Amino acid sequence: MTVADAPGTTGPPLDTRRVDAREKVTGRARYAVDRVPENVAYGAWATARIGKGRVVRVDTAAAEAVPGVRLVITRFGPDELHDVGFLMAGGHAVQSLQPLRDDRIAYRGQPVALVVADSLVAATEAAQLITAEYEEEPFTVKIGAEGAETVLQEQAIPLPFLADVKVGDAEAAFAASPVQITGTYEHPAQHAMPMEPNASVVHWEGDRLIVDDTTQNANAVRFGLATQLGIDPADVEVRSPYVGGGFGQKNAMHLHLGPIAVAARRLGRPVKMVLPRPQVFHLGAFRPNTVHQVRLGANEKGELLAAIHEVDQQTSRHDLFPSEITTVSSRLYATPAFRGEQRLVRTDVQTPGFMRSPHESPSMFAFESAMDELAYATGRDPVELRLAHDTPTDPVTGLPFSGRHLAECLRRGAARFGWDARDPEPGSMTAEDGSAVGWGVAAGCYPGGIVPVVAHLSAVADGTLTVGVGGHEFGQGLRSAVALLVARDLGVPVDTVIVRAGDTRVAPQHLTAGSWGTASALPAVQAALGELREALDVPASGDVDVAAAVRATGRPAVAVEATTLAPGQSRDDLAQLDKGVLAIGGPVYPEFVTFSWAAHFVEVRIERTTRRIRVPRVVSVVDCGRVASPVTAASQVRGGVVWGIGQALREESEVDSRFGGFLNTTLEDYPVPVNLDVQQIDVDFIDEPDLRFNPAGVKGVGEICMVGVSAAIANAVHHATGRRMRRLPIRLEHVL
Amino acid sequence: MACTVNGRDVSLDLDPRESLLDMLREQLALTGTKKGCDQGHCGACTVHVDGRRVLSCLTPAVQVAGQAVTTIEGVAGEDSGLHPLQQAFIDHDALQCGYCTPGQIMSGIACIAEGHCGSDDEIREYMSGNICRCAAYVGIVAAVRQTADAVRNGA
Repeated sequence: MTVADAPGTTGPPLDTRRVDAREKVTGRARYAVDRVPENVAYGAWATARIGKGRVVRVDTAAAEAVPGVRLVITRFGPDELHDVGFLMAGGHAVQSLQPLRDDRIAYRGQPVALVVADSLVAATEAAQLITAEYEEEPFTVKIGAEGAETVLQEQAIPLPFLADVKVGDAEAAFAASPVQITGTYEHPAQHAMPMEPNASVVHWEGDRLIVDDTTQNANAVRFGLATQLGIDPADVEVRSPYVGGGFGQKNAMHLHLGPIAVAARRLGRPVKMVLPRPQVFHLGAFRPNTVHQVRLGANEKGELLAAIHEVDQQTSRHDLFPSEITTVSSRLYATPAFRGEQRLVRTDVQTPGFMRSPHESPSMFAFESAMDELAYATGRDPVELRLAHDTPTDPVTGLPFSGRHLAECLRRGAARFGWDARDPEPGSMTAEDGSAVGWGVAAGCYPGGIVPVVAHLSAVADGTLTVGVGGHEFGQGLRSAVALLVARDLGVPVDTVIVRAGDTRVAPQHLTAGSWGTASALPAVQAALGELREALDVPASGDVDVAAAVRATGRPAVAVEATTLAPGQSRDDLAQLDKGVLAIGGPVYPEFVTFSWAAHFVEVRIERTTRRIRVPRVVSVVDCGRVASPVTAASQVRGGVVWGIGQALREESEVDSRFGGFLNTTLEDYPVPVNLDVQQIDVDFIDEPDLRFNPAGVKGVGEICMVGVSAAIANAVHHATGRRMRRLPIRLEHVL
Repeated sequence: MACTVNGRDVSLDLDPRESLLDMLREQLALTGTKKGCDQGHCGACTVHVDGRRVLSCLTPAVQVAGQAVTTIEGVAGEDSGLHPLQQAFIDHDALQCGYCTPGQIMSGIACIAEGHCGSDDEIREYMSGNICRCAAYVGIVAAVRQTADAVRNGA
């Protein structure tokens, strides 16, 4: 049993194992479509087979003739499906373009018809029988290709947090620098591909719409469907208690939900829809292709005088997915001058979106590769060079960081890894089997966000505690962190705490992403614990006999509620939550700036004949404030490291300018790391509470753990081979 | 089509194109078995047919006529406790979102029975047909190894 002491309590050590593991290993955890309602019908999309244009005619006759087909829909009326809007433009959906509302085809893979049938077999057969005639138009799927349209982000989206970062005169300082590093780094488009595809089952109870969906944003589904269908949000109930992986791909309302809700109403039956894996590649968010130019100016000792980070980031023709690439590269090191420029490039794809460490990991791949180049150019040790640029103050705002233990991450990681034994000469280290050995390091940071959260806490006379909280559980361990907090605070066993998350019936469900889930939920639950203690008339701290305290009130149950906001937020932000739109605080707060920090040390081995690149060991040390749930946090870090391995060595969503769309749209053709790709991953935490940030002292962990890993791998490959890797993924043909 | 599922007799009229996976999930409401890709690439749908691990998404349901199908709902003992590998998954936190977990456990039980647990690398290789996007691989190997060692030691 994994246990930990429960500070401040006199009870037995706490069981810190994942609280919902038993449901998951027995198959009893109920994911979105693990419900088979009576008389359910099945939906399926037919999708466009051109790169761009207009639909002239859709032939549905063959589909309608398939036994069991109940509906074939090629167009919804304007009053049937209203505009919802793109999540990042104040709306709720994955993109502004809702299929089947007009004849426009914006990209290959966009739906052209919806089939609903008695069985999945019939729906699938019918969807495949649908053909369409199109008027084709020229299209562009690549940055830099003819027809791609570039806009300056700060002009196109004039929001303060998306403005370019400018500190000092970076161009002049760079021009005057005796050492200049200039590199262009390309990061491919990638798809998150959670194991659970986008999937939903909807049904109507009179005028109420009940939705089981796999989402990180039940509010977006609720308010998006209300807007789309023209109904009261109070009449939409969204349940997403278990999410089979999210990684940002489930941040917004998906495009099939409105259509199947209409179909369910027309048929008077529940409708279930599970997107086939290849369709997931064209119907949801992906990490956009980015091209970075990084310039570092330094003196001969390697001290930074200027840093310039310009980026072109792919977006769709119909939406602007904002870039926050320079949010992190401007904060990682003390630099007297910094200039960022973020440009968006319109291409003919679905709107890109979030994928774990969406901006930060590509940003750090580029920036931390350039820092490694600077270390080599100035003869400095890469760890020591980074330590020399530590800063307690945010270089952009001049405000203090609420907590920054990056230097300790680097020192501790170097010691655990055995960095002292490294010969810096590229190609100097060889394994017994003749493989080239490379050791690389990189750091990373990730913004500390907080969103408004409402927490309900109730205690009943048998001692059971139930928490209903804003936040979604998709494997990161939110449920475990909340249960541990309650158990520690009251000195009760973890298994007496029930946590309900991802459900609009228990609390408003703001988007859970950006690593703000736990840092937002725990302060609200902590505040609710204070309220509960008052309601139970027990001391403000110390162990509580919950059952006795409830009985003493003479009531069967005691229920309290608490709401918390980010530092500097007001009731206006709470009103945003109640309207179902984003209300994100940070990373710049009135009196401080918050980031999580990490250092990664990587060994690569490149086989002598095949040139296959392996990663036998990784050491990652993370500063995420207090570690709220040690077991699940360590799993998150190991997972993030593996994501970095995939990012660096495997994953690329390929496009073909002749056809449009993405080409490698299966889990065979889009290789993600498998068991044999992963060996030793050594994880450590600083575990210092960041109490300035929030009273629980916790910061995000699920994304910072990936940020910098791909740069450390690229730097290790350089150490092994002497060759700089400025494009991901690194494949064996790059190290021949 | 008649077969047994977790020891119970099952008899269904099926479309010959229906997969074993969809039969289990949509006809029998045994939803512990998951659909990850429906193309045989990810392993989330792994079940046992006559003791062998198979991908239920690539298996036509009619093909298991007369055979014994075991799903995650059927691996626990008579006392409805946990299979040792299920317990080991909990103890090693060999999961995060849990979606691939039933398939991992069905593969792990088979991997142990096949005798493919001679080394960590052998476990890694024989568990590589089951993708875990959360990447709980370190825990999965530890859980399979612990359970295999216990079996070998007669526990």
